[in-house]
Amino acid sequence: MAAQRQASSASQTPHLSPAELSYLYTSLSLPGTPIRPDGRSPTQFRPLAAETDILPGTNGSARVGFADGTQAIVGVKAEVERTALGIQALSTAEQQDYAAAGNDDRGGGNNGGSKQGSVSGSGQGSWVQMAIEIPGFRDDDALPVFLAEMMREPLVESVSGGGEGGMVGGLKGRLVINRRWHWRLYIDVLLLSQPLSYPLPLLSLTTHLALLATKLPKLKSKGEEDPFFDDDWNAAEYLYPRVKSTKHSSIPGSISVHKVRPPVTLLVVSVAENIIFDPSREEIAVADAVLAISVTYDTDFDRLKLLSIRTIDPPSRLTQPGVPNSENVATLGSTTAAEESVIVNPSTGEEEVPGVWRPRRGGVKRATIAKMIKMVLEKGGVGEEVLDGLEGVEVG
Amino acid sequence: MTDRRRINGPPGGTRPPIFASSLESTSDIVAERPQRQRQPNELRKIFLKTGLIPSASGSSYLEFEPSTSLSAARSKPKSVIPPSSSLKLACTVHGPKPLPRSATFSPNLVLTTHVKYAPFAGRRRKGHVRDASERDLGVHLETALRGAIVAERWPKSGLDITITILEAEDDRWWGDAPDSHDAAWGMMNVLAGCITAASAAISDARIDCLDLVAGGVAAVVADETAGRETTSQLMLDTDPADHRSILSACVVAYMPARDEITELWLKGDNSKSSVGTDNRGLGHEALIDGAVDAARGAHSVLAEAVRESAQRFAGLPSGDFT
Amino acid sequence: MPLDTSTTYPLTKLRLDGRRWNELRLIHAQISTNPASSGSSYLAMGNTTILCSVHGPAEGRRGDATGGAAGSSGAVVEVDVNIAGFAGIDRKRRAGGSDKQSGRVASTLRSAFQSHLHTYLYPHSTISVHVSVLSADGSLLAAAVNACTLALVDAGIPMPGLLCGCTAGMSGSASTPRDPLNDYLDPLLDVSLPEEQELPFLTVATTTSVPTGADEDEDDMKVAMLTMDSKVHHTYIETMLAVGVDGCKQIREILDGVIKGSSQR
Repeated sequence: MAAQRQASSASQTPHLSPAELSYLYTSLSLPGTPIRPDGRSPTQFRPLAAETDILPGTNGSARVGFADGTQAIVGVKAEVERTALGIQALSTAEQQDYAAAGNDDRGGGNNGGSKQGSVSGSGQGSWVQMAIEIPGFRDDDALPVFLAEMMREPLVESVSGGGEGGMVGGLKGRLVINRRWHWRLYIDVLLLSQPLSYPLPLLSLTTHLALLATKLPKLKSKGEEDPFFDDDWNAAEYLYPRVKSTKHSSIPGSISVHKVRPPVTLLVVSVAENIIFDPSREEIAVADAVLAISVTYDTDFDRLKLLSIRTIDPPSRLTQPGVPNSENVATLGSTTAAEESVIVNPSTGEEEVPGVWRPRRGGVKRATIAKMIKMVLEKGGVGEEVLDGLEGVEVG
Repeated sequence: MTDRRRINGPPGGTRPPIFASSLESTSDIVAERPQRQRQPNELRKIFLKTGLIPSASGSSYLEFEPSTSLSAARSKPKSVIPPSSSLKLACTVHGPKPLPRSATFSPNLVLTTHVKYAPFAGRRRKGHVRDASERDLGVHLETALRGAIVAERWPKSGLDITITILEAEDDRWWGDAPDSHDAAWGMMNVLAGCITAASAAISDARIDCLDLVAGGVAAVVADETAGRETTSQLMLDTDPADHRSILSACVVAYMPARDEITELWLKGDNSKSSVGTDNRGLGHEALIDGAVDAARGAHSVLAEAVRESAQRFAGLPSGDFT
Repeated sequence: MPLDTSTTYPLTKLRLDGRRWNELRLIHAQISTNPASSGSSYLAMGNTTILCSVHGPAEGRRGDATGGAAGSSGAVVEVDVNIAGFAGIDRKRRAGGSDKQSGRVASTLRSAFQSHLHTYLYPHSTISVHVSVLSADGSLLAAAVNACTLALVDAGIPMPGLLCGCTAGMSGSASTPRDPLNDYLDPLLDVSLPEEQELPFLTVATTTSVPTGADEDEDDMKVAMLTMDSKVHHTYIETMLAVGVDGCKQIREILDGVIKGSSQR
């Protein structure tokens, strides 16, 4: 049913009773130290197992499995495609072609290189395509479409600096072969089982690893020639270029690391005053606000940078309210009024009876959003922790 | 999914021919690039009217003021291609109505949002079947509205919100398509318009809301101003056709009375620029605040339209109040 | 130089990937790969890689198109096949999440397992099987049958014996009657994708009436599924079928080893 499917934009909500919801909310909103159902700290992530390069038929692939059994597989495929040109690009292309012809007579060897530089950085976001398969959903349902757009956005938005091991123009720029040809990247995400929680963190981490493992064949043609490639797959170059490590100087025999890394998207929820990362399904069900924040490492300033934020509809708005004893016909008169004094929830500003679940209403305060973003971005914050953790995964 | 029932036009965009005889030089096209004439914090005027579709329980029509270059081009066209476009959309609300028998029980009002571009809305023709970007917009709109509606007052009911976009905002100026900016920046303006219009239509349908939720857009743009120097600047209510490059943009759905955001969609990389604050890491906060300011502006228009709707409902002649 | 089996095979008696006519590709299989499902398996036959998960037997969905009457006498088997966009050589985008090939594989699997499993033990319930094809390099249906069998065994659903699938082809177009005196065509076991595209082949799945054991009798072998879409002269069918059935027997031993190996852990 279309209406039902669209309504489940924040994934299937578990069928929890108002009493259970209220209990969860109360324990998660304890000031300072929320108690999570699985005993994690607010910023702790669920353990996961990851491996890369599992599918030889793809340019890059990865598999990530959470301990609860949800698994995702991502395969990246690249194809060469002709570039459509705009008016200005066409006119400048002609001029440069004349110039190039002149230079070629004099045998300019590094001509191709210089031109490569002049065209790079003008890639298009539409060259990266993403499709998500979730069992039980058609691939044009709202959830897969929304998730795919959410993860594609930061990938193509990221504009990183040049320098050694850098990527001029970000991922878009890296896909440019020459002025007339480019790579088209297909990222196919496969969720192997019905999502137990909002699948965004799982899919984002898997995509991150798959892109790190992605290799493109080495280009043998030069400049504006029609591209042809080295047959030797061992000579292939990583999509995200690697440089010799300088960070881990303690380890002899320098390992190559990625200087530029694809972004990761983190799922952050707020419950009352608390900010909680990587929420489980039960935790999302009572959240006041759910935000998907995409970050990546900024090589120029040596810190994290923000690429995109999206709000996700918190399923708590769709839950059933609990009935306070004072209004319940079954228990009417059995409690005194003093037992159920109405308090004002500091985060929502609404009157509530403690222990009685009320579906969340309204939006989120700007201060809360700022706090969530800060926790992700700050030095030594959660974002860095996640990226460092991912660096530990053996790639390629 | 391809639409096999109708005879469709070419799937790709078409660009009208430019005849060499009508051009003195290639710089001619570049000279026609529209420029933003408004101040950075000046919003476009919004036309918003409710109750135009009598068969719906609530409806609204929204239009953005055409930019200076567009209105100039309309009165004295130099080329067959308009330099930019201005948003026009119609929103209808049907309901609250009982859910179909087959639906499962819901203690709350079930909100369904449909956003559809008319095939002629943009420079690139849209098919009759909703595509990914339209579904994406639908989810964004649903998130924005669900926070504002007091849903538990209508158990077992459904509310359908349908938005038809008659004229969409361009993602870029047509002349530098497709290589300067390729992200769907126009979509963000469309979303802001959808939120404002849907909010008006919902209150026209007399659905209880916490507050009128208004949409606003702000963007960090890098324009080549005098000389070669590029400066990045925070602008409210940006028309993507006016700018050479948009670094990042943000759209919010904002409820002024509660000072709360029900929907936030920010994208783009503005780490290279510092706007609003000295701290480079805080560009996003300036951006969100800017979008909220734009939403406040839209809210004043919205409030006026809703008051008009209420007067019509009370049987008062419009325009006469006190 | 054209690289196809019908020209190179008569010269070398080796197939494109270096196998002889009666050699299977390397099979690697694992069960219980996904803890979130009732049963799951991973199976790689050469470069064809398949993941399969089983949910159920569980209560069927209410308000289904089939209604409550379906499955009143036994469980209903649902099969869902998803061929990933990156499975083939070229990346494929399928409209609406399904295409002709995956639909055919799904319906073949459904009918094969519906009659194979002891479904009468679970009335009013559904056994749903989800097959993900990660990499398709020939013998897709056969590999899917094997993966499903492993996953269903992992889920503990009773069946009379392991249902094992295998493909067999001929090393030429085989469009003329077979000449017993000058028989230059060889049957090929377990065809790969390039062979599948140029040569006639059939897919056969067999089972035994009792669980496999040391005293397996050749006569107990039953063909549970047989499909063939290509044109071949009828005199060759018997040879191909014999080779395919023999391949199924080899695969059964391998799968048997996988199941026994995992239960010892």
